[in-house]
Amino acid sequence: MKTSPALALGALLLAAFVCAAAFAPAIAPYTATQQSLDNDLAGSSRAHWLGTDKLGRDVLSRVVYGARISLAVGFTTVALSIVIGFWIGALAGYFRGGVDQALMRLVDILMAFPGILLAIAFTAVLGPGLDHVVVALGLIGWTGYARLVRGEILSLREKEFVHAAAALGGSPLRVVVRHLLPNVLPALLVQATFGVAAAIIAEGSLSFLGLGAEPPTPSWGAMLNEGRQFILVAPHLTAYPGLAITITVLALNLAGDGLRDRLEKRGK
Amino acid sequence: MLLSKTLKLHAVIPLLCLALGFSGCARSADDRPPGALVVALESGPTNLDPRYATDADSERIAALVFDSLARPDRSFRPQPELAASWDAPDERTFIFHLRRGVKFHNGKDLTAADVAYTYRSALDPRNRSPKRGILRFIESVEANGAYDVRFRLSAPFAAFTETLTLGIVPQGTPVDGSGLVGSGPFSLEEFRRGERIVLKANPSYWNGAPRVSGVVFKIIPDAIVRVLEFRKRTVDLIQNYFEPDMLPWLEHNSRAVVSSAQGTNFQYLGMNLEHPILKHRAAREAIACAIDRDAIIRHILKDLAVPATGLLAPQHWAYESSVEAIHFDPDRAKRLLDEAGFPDPDGDGPLPRFKLSFKTTNLDLRKRIAEALKEQLARVGIELEVRTYEWGTFYADVKKGNFHLYSLEWIGVVDPDIYYELFHSASVPPNGNNRGHYRNLEIDMLLERGRREMSIDKRRVIYGEVQRILARDLPYVPLWWWRNVAVMQRTLRGFELYPDGNLISLRRISFATPAG
Amino acid sequence: MKRFLLHRILLLLPTLFGAVTLVFILIHAVPGDPVEAMLGETASSADKAALARELGLDQPVLTQYIRFLGDLAKGDLGRSLYNQGSVSALIATRIPATLELTLAAMAIALLIAFPLGILAARRRGSGADRFALLFSLFGLAVPNFWLGPLLMIAFSIQLGWLPVSGRGGAAHLLLPALTLGMAMAAILTRMIRSGLIETMHEDYIRTARAKGLDERRVWLKHALRNSLISVVTIVGLQFGALLAGSIVTESIFSWPGIGRLTLQAIQTRDYPLVQGCVLTIAFSYLAVNLATDIIYRIIDPRITYED
Repeated sequence: MKTSPALALGALLLAAFVCAAAFAPAIAPYTATQQSLDNDLAGSSRAHWLGTDKLGRDVLSRVVYGARISLAVGFTTVALSIVIGFWIGALAGYFRGGVDQALMRLVDILMAFPGILLAIAFTAVLGPGLDHVVVALGLIGWTGYARLVRGEILSLREKEFVHAAAALGGSPLRVVVRHLLPNVLPALLVQATFGVAAAIIAEGSLSFLGLGAEPPTPSWGAMLNEGRQFILVAPHLTAYPGLAITITVLALNLAGDGLRDRLEKRGK
Repeated sequence: MLLSKTLKLHAVIPLLCLALGFSGCARSADDRPPGALVVALESGPTNLDPRYATDADSERIAALVFDSLARPDRSFRPQPELAASWDAPDERTFIFHLRRGVKFHNGKDLTAADVAYTYRSALDPRNRSPKRGILRFIESVEANGAYDVRFRLSAPFAAFTETLTLGIVPQGTPVDGSGLVGSGPFSLEEFRRGERIVLKANPSYWNGAPRVSGVVFKIIPDAIVRVLEFRKRTVDLIQNYFEPDMLPWLEHNSRAVVSSAQGTNFQYLGMNLEHPILKHRAAREAIACAIDRDAIIRHILKDLAVPATGLLAPQHWAYESSVEAIHFDPDRAKRLLDEAGFPDPDGDGPLPRFKLSFKTTNLDLRKRIAEALKEQLARVGIELEVRTYEWGTFYADVKKGNFHLYSLEWIGVVDPDIYYELFHSASVPPNGNNRGHYRNLEIDMLLERGRREMSIDKRRVIYGEVQRILARDLPYVPLWWWRNVAVMQRTLRGFELYPDGNLISLRRISFATPAG
Repeated sequence: MKRFLLHRILLLLPTLFGAVTLVFILIHAVPGDPVEAMLGETASSADKAALARELGLDQPVLTQYIRFLGDLAKGDLGRSLYNQGSVSALIATRIPATLELTLAAMAIALLIAFPLGILAARRRGSGADRFALLFSLFGLAVPNFWLGPLLMIAFSIQLGWLPVSGRGGAAHLLLPALTLGMAMAAILTRMIRSGLIETMHEDYIRTARAKGLDERRVWLKHALRNSLISVVTIVGLQFGALLAGSIVTESIFSWPGIGRLTLQAIQTRDYPLVQGCVLTIAFSYLAVNLATDIIYRIIDPRITYED
């Protein structure tokens, strides 16, 4: 089957960012935290291609190292959400009845909160730090996946191969992992690409509210927020991390769209 | 039938109508009363009742609406306001003679009964006023005829004059924030918490009517938005609430007038003296020597601060001028640490001598300062783990003594008796604000003497000694005193900066041409 | 329909109860003490203890929770710890501002998404289609806290058309609503486009075309109506995102709504106010979703609800 150009472009861009993240020390001309207070808010120069920030740190290096932080936040958050969402959705879908009712009420409760509010509360309880941001975002982000998995499993459960597996004496766990998981996974992956983009932006919003990455950690969201105050005197502080976020979100969405098209075609 | 438009309109028009319907009942934020001044604030006051006003915004605005018995001058000595004069028959008694003919905004005369009522209601535990703590030395307040008020103290207490700044409300004013009437240059028209405060000029103010028709305080939480509003000329004056780096831009792009003056707000590095490392004086001095205040002030604060020698600013009457600022000297810092038994395991390599956590609030400027401190301490081998907290959490931790290092500022320091609250061994939390658990018998004795001594000259000697000891012991590392800075539109005349940042000069302010 | 409504409303109760419990647990787990903040720097420990007793904060958390539920059952949200005002009155003054902002954001999102989505679907692969794609990616990628100042600089300072911030008439509403509605506009544009493209391949559309209905009517009558159903669902779900976004947007635009009130309440550890705010937000989200379910049934009578 032919790969769509959108999927290819998305995957390519994403790969580029993952490489930047993986080989940040080799690519970045400086470290992300090296300060030089008397060279602050400088524009582009040969020494600093993308200029420097308020503390005289190299913006290019921070954007490159930022790929590490932001992609890590995006992917681990979503991974955590998927793990929780899959098991809760699977429990609800497999056992139905009271279990389903109870779990879906839990989903309702969490969905009734604006996510950011819960994230504020969680990070306030857990204390500052990027790992806590990931936990907070992961703990509130699973509801969508749970609904998706539950729906898929409710319909799959009636399929013959599941009945057959159950009749052959497979334990529920085995049926879920061996037969249901592979069938739900593609839909989860599509959802996940959008989730990663959302998590990267959510980390930024938490930075805006003062609850994101700890300084001097260069997450793109934190950089964007730090640069806001200088938007009139040094727009490059926001432009480059903003661009990095935009391209990543673009790549993830292209990949997600492409993946979905491909799955739908295969389904037909 | 064409569904397209109808469907679209069905969906959108009701929403728009609803939205605009709600906006119809909102007053335009821009319709400033003619001739009024607009001032931008960051978070704004929480309570304007002078018996409850404790945050800086609340105190500053309350001071425009309510007069008090006396007000500190630029060197923090009390000057008469509502009290024309006072005398002290003995060390525990003060009698205030009120100015005659002062009227509240509602037309009633301000008398001794109102003064007594205000103080008594602030002291009443049922009213849970946050001012009760500083008033607790007052045993009784009696009106003596219409114009004399007699204060009786439970013990001689020199800092008593600090309590004279309490704004006076009419007798019977409830504590629920309703019906707030004062006798000051402006009356309170509207108070929408977190949104705006509107003051109207009091034309019959005893000390001269204001020259503007009123003052609107707009609460604009985002710093960059305050600057944009100023640029748009929908704000006339911003004091202190902006990024230092915006000043040159404002001067060039907005033709703003910028003025700055020495202030008294004191930024310090607090330390936990029960920490196994920080309990060593040498370690504290090393930290003090490792901090390059000048670089931080020049580059991050854009010279809006001055290196501090201690809590009291140079213009304070009790300031001890023989105390010198600590000089930036990383080599000395390293030497001190080596000698104190904290060698650097790998010289200038990446391994630190020890790790400390540094707590601060999550405001942009505070984070930037924290990052610079981290870098500077790293150069002498101390690893700082920066932890930023939202204010409520940060403050709770600091009050409980749950920190290694933190940074905060003291604002509104008037009487040097504040040292008792900060460094007396009896003031360890929860009984006071000696959060670092500093204990020094000599200091304890001096502070006890200082609060009983009524002669200002003798107190100056006592607190001079206190300042010298603290500069040697370093329970705090003094960082800097903030300068006050204001940007104002070119047409504004008569604004004056005060060291403590108060806004009382607003009553003398005017526009060169009508505001527009 | 009546049974359906009753059932749905009954289902709201456990959800609200759960939400209230969750927020109670969270706010009490967050470090920070309202008594310290209320009594200031110089209060004696006896005064602090007395105030804690008066507010019931010295009681075990479970007792406080039961008392809170009891008050709530009576419709009493309590009083703000700071200015003594009743929580419900405080919230009531802020609700119109937030409703105004979220509804306008929704309206702007629909006004952008419908024409753009339809145009992109009708002319697949054209410049307009590509523009729609770019727009929707941009809308998803730009965080509110960056977009807001950019819009202010462009429209208020450079062009001078609109006020910078604050609440007032329609002019004040435009920029914050656009900021808040951007992500929703992006999502809806994509949905409408892909929904329309999908329906155009359905059999009944082919039939309609075969019957010789003119293209315009096919599009409008059949395709659009069909995709409207999914739009309604998304609007309901996205309302939660709008409420969440309003917390950030209101802070940027000095907008006196529930979002900022919630933030202030959290910062000052004003427990009753936090609880009231969160309850209000959760309730409005659930109410809007109930409303979407009802609209859903009206638009598409084929849908039935077994449960």
